[in-house]
Amino acid sequence: MNFTYILEALPDLLSGLKMTLIVSFLAILLSCLIGVLGAILRTSGIKPLQYAVTAYVEFIRGTPYLVQIFFIFYGLPSLGLRFSIFWSGVIALTAWASAFQIENFRAGLAAVGSGMHDASASLGLKRWQHSVFVVLPLAARAALPSSMNTIVATVKNSAYLQAIGLVELTFVAVDRIAYDFRAIEMFASICVIYLICVFSISGLGYMVERRLSRPFGGR
Amino acid sequence: MLLLEFRSFLLEGLLNTLFLSSVMIAGGTLFAVIFAAGLSATSPWLRRPVYGLVECLRDIPLMVTVLMVYFVLPHAGLSLNPFWSSALSVSVWGGANGAHIIRAGLLAVPLGQREAAMSSGLRGWKALLLVIVPQAMPIILPPYVSLVTSLLQASSLGAVLGVNELLRSAQILIEQTTIARGGSPAYLVYGSILVVYFALCWTISAFGAKLERHFAKPYQRGKATVPHSETVPAVLQPST
Repeated sequence: MNFTYILEALPDLLSGLKMTLIVSFLAILLSCLIGVLGAILRTSGIKPLQYAVTAYVEFIRGTPYLVQIFFIFYGLPSLGLRFSIFWSGVIALTAWASAFQIENFRAGLAAVGSGMHDASASLGLKRWQHSVFVVLPLAARAALPSSMNTIVATVKNSAYLQAIGLVELTFVAVDRIAYDFRAIEMFASICVIYLICVFSISGLGYMVERRLSRPFGGR
Repeated sequence: MLLLEFRSFLLEGLLNTLFLSSVMIAGGTLFAVIFAAGLSATSPWLRRPVYGLVECLRDIPLMVTVLMVYFVLPHAGLSLNPFWSSALSVSVWGGANGAHIIRAGLLAVPLGQREAAMSSGLRGWKALLLVIVPQAMPIILPPYVSLVTSLLQASSLGAVLGVNELLRSAQILIEQTTIARGGSPAYLVYGSILVVYFALCWTISAFGAKLERHFAKPYQRGKATVPHSETVPAVLQPST
């Protein structure tokens, strides 16, 4: 293990990490939005929409993520949809994460008891007020642990995007190995970096979870 | 049509995928049992390193694990070809995830069951296999079946190292036809293998659901709920 080599490679690795974090951040943001929308559609009671969302979730979960990436990056251009490597990566990661977030938020919505509806009605809350102020916070709370898991998995799965040539952390490491043959140093460094990312995100999630588990006494 | 024209080539890829994923499922199960045993060990000197290893495997991206095993093992004097390298890395990853599934399932069986097994003279492996495991199955199976589908999907990572499985065949087919005929058939080929993978995963899930139903009603199986008066329970038989 040559530590001076790692120090030398560190600026490259950090710029790779930056790309990893940017792509993951965009995908996490978009997939949470799509997740909430999809979950609402899936429980909306409009049959065709429900079937469409369910089919989407099942298809994404039933197919390899790597093939989805290749389909989006290499397949879509011949159908007239051409994206850069970066945006293909964001779209692929979002498409994958959304399927899981839809499931997470759907379970969250299902966890809100029907008694809440009666309670809101008896307090004179309108339908939209009930949805926004009562159901949404409770559902978000119930969905948080599994949603955090998906967020962590999203960051980890950004590593797959090296296969289409997105210059993120794993790509930088593999690229340097091709020139310098320092596989042990490079993999040790990126493993440590990924572990730090995963632990900080799950630690953050745990903190939010603990804060939210004190229901109305917060502050 | 392109897919029919090259069907034998794609079929070979599919067979390799099936073989590779069978190896991964078998290896993953083996590692899962080993890791689960390590996690349940009473000695902290065994339990803690296994726990650390399992956590690292779960937290490092699978793509990184696959590449790491391929690039780093030769430095340790162990050169594997792409097939066995990807099989090993995905199996270890599957084992780390499976270990927690198995352990959680075994812990969910009430302690009284083990005590009851011991009081009937069943100890160690016999108690585990005959009493604890059948009751843990309904808890283990659902997440385990979804792990098996993940392992099948992870076999596509072999393509990154150059194993000739379904995804790699598709890549080769696309490269060749793009060069030879102009115009990329990528959406058609990748779209079709997405459907093939989906069908395979769906089959596994359907089979898993069947298995779950089988284990969900443990006490309705067979007719052995009430022991016949004339058959002497094995434990009460005189040992010769």
